[in-house]
Amino acid sequence: MQLIAQLRALPWRAAIVLGAVLFGLVAPGRAGADNGEFDAYSTLFYEFGGPLEMIVVNPRASLRVDPVDEMSLRVSYDADIVSGASVAVVDAPAAEIDAISSATQLNDFRSVVTGGLELRSDFGAIRGSYSYGFENDYRSHSFTIGARTDLFERNTTLDLSYARGFDLVCNLFQPRNQDPVDRRRLDSSQGCFDDQDADTDALDIDLQTFQGSWTQAWAPIFVTQLTLTGQLVEGFQSNPYRAVWLGRAAAQENHPQVRFRYAAALSGRLWIEPLSGAVQASVRAYRDSWDVRSITAELAYEQSIDGALRLRLRGRYYTQGAAAFFSDDYSLRPRGQYFTGDRELADMETFMAGAHIIWTLTPGTEGSDIGPFQAFRLMLKFDFIHNEFPNFRYGRAAVPNNNSILTTLGLELVF
Amino acid sequence: MRPSSSDRLAAWRGLARAAAVALVALAIASGCVMVRPEEREFLADPAMTFGAEGTAAAQEEHVISNREGSYGGSAVTGGGCGCN
Repeated sequence: MQLIAQLRALPWRAAIVLGAVLFGLVAPGRAGADNGEFDAYSTLFYEFGGPLEMIVVNPRASLRVDPVDEMSLRVSYDADIVSGASVAVVDAPAAEIDAISSATQLNDFRSVVTGGLELRSDFGAIRGSYSYGFENDYRSHSFTIGARTDLFERNTTLDLSYARGFDLVCNLFQPRNQDPVDRRRLDSSQGCFDDQDADTDALDIDLQTFQGSWTQAWAPIFVTQLTLTGQLVEGFQSNPYRAVWLGRAAAQENHPQVRFRYAAALSGRLWIEPLSGAVQASVRAYRDSWDVRSITAELAYEQSIDGALRLRLRGRYYTQGAAAFFSDDYSLRPRGQYFTGDRELADMETFMAGAHIIWTLTPGTEGSDIGPFQAFRLMLKFDFIHNEFPNFRYGRAAVPNNNSILTTLGLELVF
Repeated sequence: MRPSSSDRLAAWRGLARAAAVALVALAIASGCVMVRPEEREFLADPAMTFGAEGTAAAQEEHVISNREGSYGGSAVTGGGCGCN
């Protein structure tokens, strides 16, 4: 019921009014040319198994208008509506039952509004955007700039971007010099970001992300892309609500304040002419200063069916090594000054398989008339995900919620 | 604990080294490859365009990066017909 109430609270009316105004600004003057695009997407993530169900609904509406051929303006609204259960104290001892029975209900609503600009020329493009995100216990400001250029008869595309984030996370007020093993977890988001509330505190997280990519057409049927990402995160990176059992008492989890993250991904796409389809493969390697290392491999095949319909099938495999300070039992096997109850920092494997189908309608397709629009696109996507956590336990129990589905429904209108 | 300037320098130096290797490979490899505009029919297909999944891919990355311990390396728009 909570989730339904949150869904009803979405500011759809504001988005529709904003969209109508922007559409009205550009539509009359440039009928017949592509003036922009409106898209509305919603993703549902449902993680199930045992008492730790989790539902995340992520609706998004975006509008792009091109007042002139060389410029695009974008606005978008995203929401994350989270409803589920989480374990408050990981590995707490229990005589009869495991820690899962003490799972607490979690409800959250995050909103992100974004505005951006892109300027294009024959040589490439530059872009910039700003995002503001807010929820009960988190605030974020993010600025992104980027540039793209085409070289060698447009067979080579280089893209560089830099993002700077200034985030604030709510935490229980605790003296800065307090020993981590004495820190208590935050019970609820009540009082967060309220200047009058002396029980909570707002802690900084600074993010810097640099990304570069090189896309290369090697042959009329073969193209590759190499992407390098580096990110520096400084600040409070623990979950303020989660505590870890340390032997005699539980303390709020304590992660290092600094994390350097690096990723390199190589992707290739090969056109199979007899099938009129493309094989798509990618591999990604990741490492960070917490010693989390991972490899991701993905293989997909995309086929056009009768022109207007496209089908994509894909499989994805992910394997990860645990952070240097991860332990499945800190009372027996402590790992230095840091401790975590986060399963994302444990050894894990992910198996993912799914499909998406896209139906595109353009004027004249099957005799269709789609009014003032240049194209109408409908997308449906479904994936099944299975996770394995060989070393992570809630008390004596293995992770029960290790299966999930991810489904997306999208609509795009080009005008 | 804040990072020292030498920590930061070492971290960004690693990234710069990888970028330099990529740049050298780019200079060696891409200059001698030429696909003519009239040969781009298949490259223009959405199935051959990186980042063509757009919003759906971004939403998927958002969900997955919150359930896995790693981040980065996602596809950037590029390739295709080269007509942007």
